[in-house]
Amino acid sequence: MENSNDNDAITLDLLPTRFGRWGKIWTFILLLLCAIGAYAYFLQLKNGLVVTDMGDYVSWGIYISNFVFFVAISLVGSLITAVLRLANVHWSTPLTRIAEIIAVSAIIFASLIIIVDMGRPERFLSLLLHGRLQSPIIWDVIVISTYFVLSLLLLYFPLLPDLKILIRVNAGNHSRLNKLYRFLGSFWKGNPEQVRLSEKAINIMCITIIPVAFCIHTVTSWLFATTYRPGWDSTNFGAYFISGAFLVGAGAVVVAMFVFRKAYHLEKYITELHFDKMGRVLVMLALLYLYFNINEYLVPAFKMRKPESAHLLDLFAGEFAPLFWFAILIGMLIPIGILLFKEGRKPLPMFVAGLMVVVGAWFKRYLIVTPTLLHPFLPMQDVPGRYHHYFPSWQEWAIAMGSLAGALLVITFLSRIFPIIPIQETITEQHEKAV
Amino acid sequence: MKRLCNVYPLLFSLCLQLFIGFPADGQDSAGKSLLVDLSYHSLNNSVVYLSVHAKTKENGKFQPVGGARFRLYLDKDSAACFAGNAVTDTKGSAMSFLPPSLKNQWNSAATHTFIAVSDAAGAFNPSRTEASVVKAHLEIDTGQGKTIIAKIVELKNGEWAPVKAIEIKVAIKRSGGDLAVGDKESYTTDSTGTISAEFHRDGIPGDKSGQLTLVAKVEDNDTYGNLRVEKSEPWGTDLILTDTFDQRSLWAARFKTPLWLLLMEYSIFLSVWSVVVYLVIQIRKIIKAGR
Repeated sequence: MENSNDNDAITLDLLPTRFGRWGKIWTFILLLLCAIGAYAYFLQLKNGLVVTDMGDYVSWGIYISNFVFFVAISLVGSLITAVLRLANVHWSTPLTRIAEIIAVSAIIFASLIIIVDMGRPERFLSLLLHGRLQSPIIWDVIVISTYFVLSLLLLYFPLLPDLKILIRVNAGNHSRLNKLYRFLGSFWKGNPEQVRLSEKAINIMCITIIPVAFCIHTVTSWLFATTYRPGWDSTNFGAYFISGAFLVGAGAVVVAMFVFRKAYHLEKYITELHFDKMGRVLVMLALLYLYFNINEYLVPAFKMRKPESAHLLDLFAGEFAPLFWFAILIGMLIPIGILLFKEGRKPLPMFVAGLMVVVGAWFKRYLIVTPTLLHPFLPMQDVPGRYHHYFPSWQEWAIAMGSLAGALLVITFLSRIFPIIPIQETITEQHEKAV
Repeated sequence: MKRLCNVYPLLFSLCLQLFIGFPADGQDSAGKSLLVDLSYHSLNNSVVYLSVHAKTKENGKFQPVGGARFRLYLDKDSAACFAGNAVTDTKGSAMSFLPPSLKNQWNSAATHTFIAVSDAAGAFNPSRTEASVVKAHLEIDTGQGKTIIAKIVELKNGEWAPVKAIEIKVAIKRSGGDLAVGDKESYTTDSTGTISAEFHRDGIPGDKSGQLTLVAKVEDNDTYGNLRVEKSEPWGTDLILTDTFDQRSLWAARFKTPLWLLLMEYSIFLSVWSVVVYLVIQIRKIIKAGR
């Protein structure tokens, strides 16, 4: 009887709820940003890529930076769900759904933003029909599609027991939401055979998604590293990108943890212990990424080969120096400084550190993509003056911000539809603890 | 008084010149001078052509003049002796072959003068340049032990007579220019008009059957112009072309992907997607188990 009451209490606590006033304002702001982005994209479709500031030299600008950012953040699904699950870490249970939702939304917008970067998006199908298997771009298309499917499945399988609860709670309700729940999970009865099949599928998926996740970001790094350019010509790029991806993904989860905890009053489920544990993970990942950064910049800077020197000096003390040091400080050094101390791993400082990591990571992607393109091997001669610099046009900013808002909107809607913390898993864990 | 009388005409003439100006020099200095180099070329003693190079001096430096138009004549600048038009390219160079219509005139004498005339155009003044040549033949042959023999003869009193003390270069024709056959830059003809050069480029690649094109040439000679003769000899090594075009490679077309890459990609793709298919089958099983 007591157990049943506990279960009901947990269910009630974790059920998705309607947006409150702030939720509506938040959703409206995101919709507005998406609408502005959509209008800017309409202008780009109408007039072509000429509306951007990209040109003969900087042919990959803010869109590709955004793409790399989304790909990076999508890796969090594999980190929190797959890695920690396989390592038999139980404290991460309340965070798995958040990580899976972030992964799905990020990979959706990674796919979309790459199409935005295409001058002739109507020819996207040609990429699949006539693509060359020798090209890392085709590898990226394949691996992103695969990761998208696996991320959806990784979200779906653990959701099945919760769907049963949602259908039960909403019994007699004929809303569209309930129809969706029934469509997705009415077949789930929770019998031992179903549980066995589901557990097996999740385990196989967790094993599969880790190499696929590594592939998605390694292949993305190869888009750059297979090109002989200063700043990209590195054998270290795959590991460098993966470490950065895990960092930004973990940072995003920390931010989402804090926001959902506040918004849905989940203090009982996302506790200070979770922040402390995630803080330790985050500081370890930040140190790891810092190590790779030192490798990436110090070694070429020590040699200062002529083609590299202009690029490096521009980063260290030139046009990109403020942005570069901002990304290093905000994205790594200051969060490390905060998170190394126990007091820094409390919810609010963690939120600030997580936010810094995410913002720093976005600018870091921009610094990986753009400065290299402004430093070709052959001198830039007899070209218009604007070719020597790149600053995104308002359309580029609007589309990039619109895509970020879109990803947040997907997260917002998914958190409105599905429980942000797995209900059934939480109940099971509570029972196990009680036993 | 007598001295003063002598000065007045001088002063008068000076004032007159100031008033009416300096017609000849004044007009010339208004435009830029075109510096023209006109050269005669003979290839294998059969093809005769002229080359024109136009340049001007700007800020103390020579600059090529592109688009300069020249009318070329043989011996006289009359319509009957017209040899053709030539317009310089961006490097200031142009060439024109001697037309068959001037064959009789060409054969009628041992010495000829070529004339290049340009009208005033743009900032440039009109120009007229002449170049005289004595008809000469250059011959090339090979001797024993890979020796190249070249001989120069000139047309003198209706006879071909050897010419001594002429610098002849002996080389191998390559795609980027001519490569000297030995260490010496050039050879000087003896009293029989002959030189002999040793071939020191063993092992150099020729064409598919090892054929090399040997070249003997006289360059920028004041009397004979530019003469060049060529002869083919199988002194090179056979060229074996390894054409990688249209073969399986990382840079080939999509249907020419290397097999090892295809194998790797398909293995990875199939293994991962077989898991995805397996997971979808699991969903079906879960649905069945719920019925």
